[in-house]
Amino acid sequence: MHKRILSLVFALLSFQAAQFALMAQEFKLLDRTVQVHGFVSQGFVYTDDNNWLTMNTSQGSAAFTDFGLNMSSQVTDKFRIGAQGYDRNLGQLGQYHPSLDWAVADYRFESWFGVRGGKVKTTLGLYNDTQDEDFLRTFALLPQSVYPTDLRDATIAHLGADIYGKLSLRHGLGVLSYTAYTGHRSDSIYSGYPYYLSSFGGQIKSYGGLQYGGDLRWSTPLKGFLIGASRLNEHITGKGLAINPFAPGAGLVPYSESSKADWTNQFYGEYVVGRFRIDSEYRRYWRNQELFSGTSESFADIRGWYVSGAYRICKRLQIGSYYSHYTISNIVAGALSAFYPPATDTTLPANHDYDKVVTGRVDLNKFWNVKVEGHFMDGYGSGPYPNGFYSQVNPRGFAPNSNALVLKTSLNF
Amino acid sequence: MKSHKLLSLVAVIVIFAPVRVIAADVKVIANGSVKADMISASEVKSVFLEESNSLGDGTHVEPVLEKDGPVHEAFLHEYLAGTDNDLQSYYRALVFSGRGSMPKQLGSDAEMVAYVARTKGAIGYVSAETTVEDVKTLTIVPEGNGAQRRLITRVEPDYPDTLKRLNIGGTVRLRLTIGPRGNVETVEVLGGNPILGESAVAAVKQWVYTASRSRTAAELSVPFDSHH
Repeated sequence: MHKRILSLVFALLSFQAAQFALMAQEFKLLDRTVQVHGFVSQGFVYTDDNNWLTMNTSQGSAAFTDFGLNMSSQVTDKFRIGAQGYDRNLGQLGQYHPSLDWAVADYRFESWFGVRGGKVKTTLGLYNDTQDEDFLRTFALLPQSVYPTDLRDATIAHLGADIYGKLSLRHGLGVLSYTAYTGHRSDSIYSGYPYYLSSFGGQIKSYGGLQYGGDLRWSTPLKGFLIGASRLNEHITGKGLAINPFAPGAGLVPYSESSKADWTNQFYGEYVVGRFRIDSEYRRYWRNQELFSGTSESFADIRGWYVSGAYRICKRLQIGSYYSHYTISNIVAGALSAFYPPATDTTLPANHDYDKVVTGRVDLNKFWNVKVEGHFMDGYGSGPYPNGFYSQVNPRGFAPNSNALVLKTSLNF
Repeated sequence: MKSHKLLSLVAVIVIFAPVRVIAADVKVIANGSVKADMISASEVKSVFLEESNSLGDGTHVEPVLEKDGPVHEAFLHEYLAGTDNDLQSYYRALVFSGRGSMPKQLGSDAEMVAYVARTKGAIGYVSAETTVEDVKTLTIVPEGNGAQRRLITRVEPDYPDTLKRLNIGGTVRLRLTIGPRGNVETVEVLGGNPILGESAVAAVKQWVYTASRSRTAAELSVPFDSHH
């Protein structure tokens, strides 16, 4: 209750701040214009059964707040700098621990070649780099099969460098855009995977590692039609403490896990015609991880896809719907296999989550919107890698189906 | 006497009707620091989507938009093929992912002209009928083919004194085919005042482009500004 009041007060304060900020979005510093932009969103989720996204949603939860503030400046014709701070509270995640979301120095030599370095948002599919900014889309929640909000830290940004550019193809064949990157991923200890491990007594102190990959997208000659593909490779290491499952009474012992193979392939398409937009993406995440200091190994094959459609009825009103399909298949080898039998039957609710969604969005003005969204979920996909449903907030186990009502409002300037 | 009045009426309709048709037209304007006189429609799109911040000749450019209104809508329809909501979401995606800035957005043609005139590299748009001073009006080559062939010889069209005195101006849209040697082979008027169209056709027929292996097609807009 206390948290709900805090959230409400915070939302009101943010609204006041945003109203003020709408009047002053830029200032001069050393004869350069500095732009200031920000956003804040507040959600409420009610589910008729399983608690979702680490919130106590079966009783209705407003622990669904995030906000960001950025500043940027075009220093020279080709050189731009900027940074954004981000904070969120999503049930047990985030807990209002602020983070540097991105901080970039960007030099664009030509439209076909640029370099940006620092903490850079990772280009992966249509929405990875803008997944926090729900005001850009019709939906309150992106399809969780491809963009799990509890696991945003896994893909959101890397400390490193990108090269990027756009190439206009001859003979009117459209435009190719490319990005290639490498860097270091660093997850917050308040993010989804460390929270998941805490259900086994794990206390993760650090989680992250090398990421590298690329994205290629083609704006085809058919106006509004874009297709693309992304690839992400990772070498991730997690360190901390955990309860030894073979000697639970012995207290906490050092724990580590690291990648043997960790990659993501994503394919996507988008078609925008008039007021109608249709998107579809497919993501496959293959995760072969050494667990418990190398004594065991897990092989997880996680596949997600969705098809979404959205229509703008008028300037202020949009409606949309999507179907999101998630499956996980996992095998554990080594010492821990005694505790984790193979989970390869994706027809079981524990190994899938099929989510049918309908949404309405009202834009009260250019900066403020309200969304109402219904989720009708078959399965809870709580396998050995998290996907929105956590045992800590569902201590009595999981029901096979859940329906959710999501209300969300966002301000941006 | 009666037929004289009828003829006058017909003449007025002939002269003014096309002006009304092109009233929703926009013209692209730029600060005097921008070297180019011509810009392709795809370049306009690229600049306003922040995919490129310089033109082919290397001039740095900065897009400037109007906040709303019919001129803004006409510009979006003509060059960006989207709605204002789409464009605002696009810019916000750039801003919040660290990939770009929010362009300057101004409230009227007058503000646009004033801002573009005083801001190095600024490129914006106003109604085709708006008086522009201290800025240059860019000729638009909407299709990529012609734009890739550089214009070597340009002959300015005659602006009939009568029309100029009556402040009758606007933009004439032309479709042309350019031969392999760079000569303009055919010119067709797609829109605009027919008298200005004749003048534009006569001038464009004398233009010479760079040579190419094949014949190319292009569309372009020729502005007639009665205040210049």
